[in-house]
Amino acid sequence: MIISVLLLVLLAVWSLNTGVYDFGGKSAFDVLGKLIQQDPDLSLSDKYVVWDVRAARIIMAILIGSMLAVSGTSLQGLFKNPLATGDLIGLTSGATLLAAIAIVLGGHFQQYLPEAVQFSLVGISAFIGSLLSMLLVYRISTSGGKTNVVMMLLTGVAITAIGFSITGFLIYISKDEQLRDLTFWNLGSLAAATWTKNIILTIVLVISYSMLLPKGKALNAMMLGEKDAQHLGINVEKLKKQIIIMTALMIGTCVAFSGTIGFVGLIVPYILRLLFKSNYAFILPLSAVCGSILLLTADTFSRSIVQPSELPIGILTALMGGPIFIAILVKSKKSLA
Amino acid sequence: MIRAHQISYRHKEFHILDGIDVSLEYGEFLAIVGPNGAGKSSLLSILANEIKSDQKILFKNKNISDWEIRELSKHKAKFSQHNSNDIPLEVKDVVMMGRYPYFEAQPRQEDHEAMNNMMYETDVFHLKEREYNTLSGGEKQRVHLSRVLAQLQNGIDHKLLFLDEPLNNLDVKHQYKALEIIRKFTKKANSAIVVLHDLNLAAQYADKILLMKSGKVAAFGTPEEVFTAENISSAYNFPCTICEHPITHNPMIIFG
Repeated sequence: MIISVLLLVLLAVWSLNTGVYDFGGKSAFDVLGKLIQQDPDLSLSDKYVVWDVRAARIIMAILIGSMLAVSGTSLQGLFKNPLATGDLIGLTSGATLLAAIAIVLGGHFQQYLPEAVQFSLVGISAFIGSLLSMLLVYRISTSGGKTNVVMMLLTGVAITAIGFSITGFLIYISKDEQLRDLTFWNLGSLAAATWTKNIILTIVLVISYSMLLPKGKALNAMMLGEKDAQHLGINVEKLKKQIIIMTALMIGTCVAFSGTIGFVGLIVPYILRLLFKSNYAFILPLSAVCGSILLLTADTFSRSIVQPSELPIGILTALMGGPIFIAILVKSKKSLA
Repeated sequence: MIRAHQISYRHKEFHILDGIDVSLEYGEFLAIVGPNGAGKSSLLSILANEIKSDQKILFKNKNISDWEIRELSKHKAKFSQHNSNDIPLEVKDVVMMGRYPYFEAQPRQEDHEAMNNMMYETDVFHLKEREYNTLSGGEKQRVHLSRVLAQLQNGIDHKLLFLDEPLNNLDVKHQYKALEIIRKFTKKANSAIVVLHDLNLAAQYADKILLMKSGKVAAFGTPEEVFTAENISSAYNFPCTICEHPITHNPMIIFG
């Protein structure tokens, strides 16, 4: 745990000094140092790049990576399967779909609504989208406390297909400016990071973590089956509701601010399971830190390997996630058949 | 200890349990026996508060569904018939689950002690570091027995243990060992309700026997009262002879 936090801090420092902008011979740390001392010599553009562009983006990568990983781990505990993650079971698509509808329809009411309302409208729609998909997947795939994994994944495929067609239609009818927003949602990017968004993300993170992170024991007990978990003093119905609402909230918020960044919720728990078996008492809090490490690394690479341009971050996470998805499928070949 | 009056349970127009009365005193070992499909496991589930029903089951003079879940878990534990086969954890982690009602984040010294003691008792201590999924069926049973026993290691008086066919897959030595452990537990003024298939073992270890047939009580009482040739032959629809066990002097049932 301590090692992983240290690693994250080191990464953040390295990431702050990585980028295209030239500070005229100084490093980004000099600028940050001056910034903290409120040095009047500091040029506005230096300040802008270090504080409003790079630092905001690093913090956003940390927050979103962490939440995506924790939502993946919690869902896997709920469905008792390592394939249950927001993107595979359609929560991300549901969130993207409603966010897209909010952007296009919201455009028509633009003149009547203040900016803050428009902004939160997208976020709330994304939350509702992921919550509805979540309830649909849960209803279809789970009965009597047992999850049918094939049904769970296929429901995800169906939701993704519906999402894809409607989002495609919206792209077709949308205006130029909305088009840019929609493309951003589909590819996923952290480039639009601001401190306001980070504050909202932090609030969501604190609320959901205070509820989910102490649930490691309960998720372990769920492996015995719901009835036996209940005998161990766990309120199973309450636990399920909390996980469903909190993961929908986290995924919805992440999608609203960064679009669809896939596979983080799959990769991080997979790696942690290799190291610590499936003990949720360890992997739940660790996935919070390791998710940040993964996304921050991916984001720093995505904005530095093809300088001065930028690679969409979803490409990198999918490149890592795809093979892991196949690895899990091969491993669970027997149990799925 | 536990008192249930006129329990009925139906599933799709089919009566699984029909007007059953059960009561159990402190320190009693009750064995539920009967042919397949008699409703033994359903009765155990209802008594253990697994199936929500509007039936009145008084546990320590308080309706069992009114108990706070976590508090209740320190007074009673249940060993289920169908234990999960896929738990990707080490044996000690599975046994430690029995201590979950007692600690928040980190297990305390006494939780480790309870875990280790129960692993010794059930003879799984040497499997401590093994992966649960690599164990044999009988070994898994013993791990869960150990977990359920660890759950009731506390200072509370008069605890209740439910066990649904705990002897499945166990070899002879471990069958006797498991029953010895349960008897030791009930000797300390605790109670146990156990679904058993082996009538001779039931006769040897239980204080009370509940013989069930098609969702009804066929006979209830001490082993001597219940295990008569006519009771058993009519419940199982199979001829049998009763004689006295040469060593323990309990009834001995010989089928055929």
